[in-house]
Amino acid sequence: MQLIRDLLDKGVIDRHGREMGRVDRVVVEYGSGSPPRVVAIEIGPSALAERLDRSLGRWIMGLLHGLDMDEGQPLRVHVNQILAVTDRVKVDLAFGETPAASVEHKLRGLVTRIPGARR
Amino acid sequence: MSALIDLLLGVVTSVGGFVEVGSISTSAQAGAEFGFQLLWAIAIAGLMLALLTEMSGRLAVMSKRTIAAAVRERFGIHFQAVPLGAELILDLLLLTAELGGAAIAVKLLTGVGFQWWVLPIALLVWMILWFSRFSIVEYGIGLLGLLTLSFVLAAWRLGPDAGDVGRSFVPSLPSHDRVRYAFLAISIVGATVSPYLLNFYSSGTIEEDVSQDELWTNSVTAYGGNLFGSLVSMGVLVTSAMVMGPLQIKVDSYEQASLMFVPTYGSWGVGLFALSLGIGCVGAALEISLNMGYVLSQVFGWSWSANKPRAANARFSCAFTVILIVASAIAVLGFDPLRLTMISVALTVVVMPLMVLPFLVLMNDTKFVKNQTNAVVGNATLAILTVLGALMAVLVIPLEILGG
Repeated sequence: MQLIRDLLDKGVIDRHGREMGRVDRVVVEYGSGSPPRVVAIEIGPSALAERLDRSLGRWIMGLLHGLDMDEGQPLRVHVNQILAVTDRVKVDLAFGETPAASVEHKLRGLVTRIPGARR
Repeated sequence: MSALIDLLLGVVTSVGGFVEVGSISTSAQAGAEFGFQLLWAIAIAGLMLALLTEMSGRLAVMSKRTIAAAVRERFGIHFQAVPLGAELILDLLLLTAELGGAAIAVKLLTGVGFQWWVLPIALLVWMILWFSRFSIVEYGIGLLGLLTLSFVLAAWRLGPDAGDVGRSFVPSLPSHDRVRYAFLAISIVGATVSPYLLNFYSSGTIEEDVSQDELWTNSVTAYGGNLFGSLVSMGVLVTSAMVMGPLQIKVDSYEQASLMFVPTYGSWGVGLFALSLGIGCVGAALEISLNMGYVLSQVFGWSWSANKPRAANARFSCAFTVILIVASAIAVLGFDPLRLTMISVALTVVVMPLMVLPFLVLMNDTKFVKNQTNAVVGNATLAILTVLGALMAVLVIPLEILGG
């Protein structure tokens, strides 16, 4: 597997097939004397923004934190929680129970107040 | 039988997204200033769009990914950031222009200033998006869009010389204002090949869950629909050439453009023009708003679908809502919709190479399109489009300043 070609930027789905986001960052650990190894993937706008520009990432993290959205910190999925890497990355989590769903949940609270949103 | 009806509906309703402020204004200006001479530009632009549309549909069928999602996965966010930013700005400008165009249409019908109509129209667009499923947005507006065939009927009834029309499909240089001619030719391409149409089409292909067995319907819809749409743009150009040209009226506003229907439809003319313009603009505004929701969701990996309740995909629903609010706020400020349209179509040309080049790679990547990679002809055409696109991108800004 090639990390950039086969993992980075791929869609992530939870164990029920629900979209969780994309692999916004791959966390690699460098040990002394041992080859680097992938320890986790990260999902979240701040991780993505940080890849583009470090200060943009900090700004996004601060903004989400200010809005009281836990997603200010990216969701880190340990490599042991990855079930499969095919055309998507399937992880052993339930989207709704992770901080990655906090923005969706907050917005759903607003959206459901508008008539017709549940139809 | 049902598949045939679906196919016919798909082809016929393509007019709904095809004819909008960009195509009406560029074709009307081209006809008024250069007669039939720029018909070739509409034909080439229609063919370019058909080709790209077919590819975006094929990509969606084979990879179950839209263009925005495939570009993120294949090229990464560092590459995508630039075309994504450009497309979002462009779509926002175009959406503002469409809302303005629809508001002008209501102004033509009522006589009340167009800025008063921007917010009610934006609300109407939002309500259709909020309460309808994808098929209603696509087919409903598409069927209403058939009213724009009134341009074709007007052109037919004005009785243009078939020989003159036929000769105009071969590119030729004008005897006057060559810079303006070149600018309008490029603008017609920019107005026709809008990036939003491609991602919207690939998203629609996924919404409708088109299977590999139905790939041929994708080709028929893409080519048939876009060529059908081009026919309406040609109707605008011919009508404008025959009515506005001899009177030497340049189309500086939509109010002036509406006069092109008067010789054919008499006292109904301005009203019919307004209805055609209004429906075309509302249709395009629906597609652009929805597409911006699609693009953001697909790039960031949020769940999206216009076929599910809006609460089920709250980020997607909020994305198109916020975009509509921003665009209507800009439109209320009172920018001239025609000027905004011409700026958006010129900018479309500037970003075109960034849009076409990734296509060339994706359509040859078996990880995405499997055994349906482009044939030599498709690749050669895309390569030529990329070079032409780059050339047009370099030329369009100087041409806009000198001849726009």
